[in-house]
Amino acid sequence: MENLSAKTDDLILEMPEAGEGETGLIETGGLLLVAWVIGLISVWVGVGTSPLVALPGMIVFFLCSVAGLLLARFVPVSIPAVGWVSLIAILITVPGVPGADWVVEVCKKVDFLSLATPALAYGGLALTGTEFAIARRSGWKIVVVAICVMLGTYVGSVIIANLTIGLG
Amino acid sequence: MQQPSAAGGRAWGLHLAVLAIVVIAQAIGIIILPIGAAKVILLPMLYAFALAIVVNPNILRGTARIFTPRVQKLSGAMITIAITPFVAKFGTTVGPEIKEILAVGPALVLQELGHLGSILLAFPIAVYLLGMGRESIGAVYSIDREPNLALIAEKFGLNSPEGAGVMGVYATGTLIGTFIFAIVPPLINAMGIFDPRALAMACGVGSGSMLAACTGGLISAMPGHKDDIMALAGASNILTYATGLYFSLFVALPFTQWLYRRARPDDIQTAG
Repeated sequence: MENLSAKTDDLILEMPEAGEGETGLIETGGLLLVAWVIGLISVWVGVGTSPLVALPGMIVFFLCSVAGLLLARFVPVSIPAVGWVSLIAILITVPGVPGADWVVEVCKKVDFLSLATPALAYGGLALTGTEFAIARRSGWKIVVVAICVMLGTYVGSVIIANLTIGLG
Repeated sequence: MQQPSAAGGRAWGLHLAVLAIVVIAQAIGIIILPIGAAKVILLPMLYAFALAIVVNPNILRGTARIFTPRVQKLSGAMITIAITPFVAKFGTTVGPEIKEILAVGPALVLQELGHLGSILLAFPIAVYLLGMGRESIGAVYSIDREPNLALIAEKFGLNSPEGAGVMGVYATGTLIGTFIFAIVPPLINAMGIFDPRALAMACGVGSGSMLAACTGGLISAMPGHKDDIMALAGASNILTYATGLYFSLFVALPFTQWLYRRARPDDIQTAG
């Protein structure tokens, strides 16, 4: 164990993806609004839902996002913003919660895949030279291993879920 | 800390570029290629990612004037912000199905053990077939997303062999994970031996973009199961957020290290 803890001295933890918490609150709100507008357009172009039809659901998502980003910033528990956002979105749509039926109704009108597209575009533009360099330097072996890691994790979960789905 | 808005007009260049990429990707739409009984499903998010990589300043040098390092950093921060409306949408599909989710609760919790599937498949290939050293520990012990990367960084340092392994799989997963998770699940579904709910739950094992790609692929293949696919995948992903790090720390990493000591007893460095 000694040689392991000694190794933490040369710890260089610069996460390749920058998280929230780096920008000011107002700035984060502004950036969310930009992403939200791009999302609205994405839904419109992708599945032809007019922004007017999508608007009520999109406003619900916007409010969930704002609440989640605020909670992540101010509640001293290490839950990431996305964790808070899903928690809030789940709570307001559980049957029996006041207004849940209306919320579910308006949110159903917004296509979910279209909302993922902007994040992937930002993701592709955010990739740094370091990430390309690591992928290149690691060579073909790590690519083979990475594919096995992803396949193994997915198929492993499928098999266990399939075996245990009848329980409970 | 410098004001990111000091990047001024260039920040708008980023958002306009993203808007253009999104419009192109969304206009192309979902493409389904039938291959025998199976279907290969191509999603707009894949084109968006691919297009963005093509204009990434590290690939297309000419764009370095717009996408400066500072703008790229902003783009990284935008990922977490831009994904929140998608996450909210996902949450609103989980709430209404809460009863159905609780009904398969045991399966949902137990399938988290599926993360060991990575070790079972990838460890023998890395160690015995490819002859890799200690980097295989970092590479195969988990799906190597951000929390797992942080764990290896803390225990071994990222410039250790274990760190090189985790970074390699992390970078590869970032580059091709979305494609794998969009294309593979519908193919497995075509085998016809697994419950759609099991295929959906397993969508939650990785990052947000893997989740999006996986559910997108499955729903395109089985439109009739849309509601339960989304709800179960969403619930599983939240569970992975909650338990993933502990599972990695207390089960997966010690197990991988134990396997490695068995496989390479002479490599004493792994005594941890």
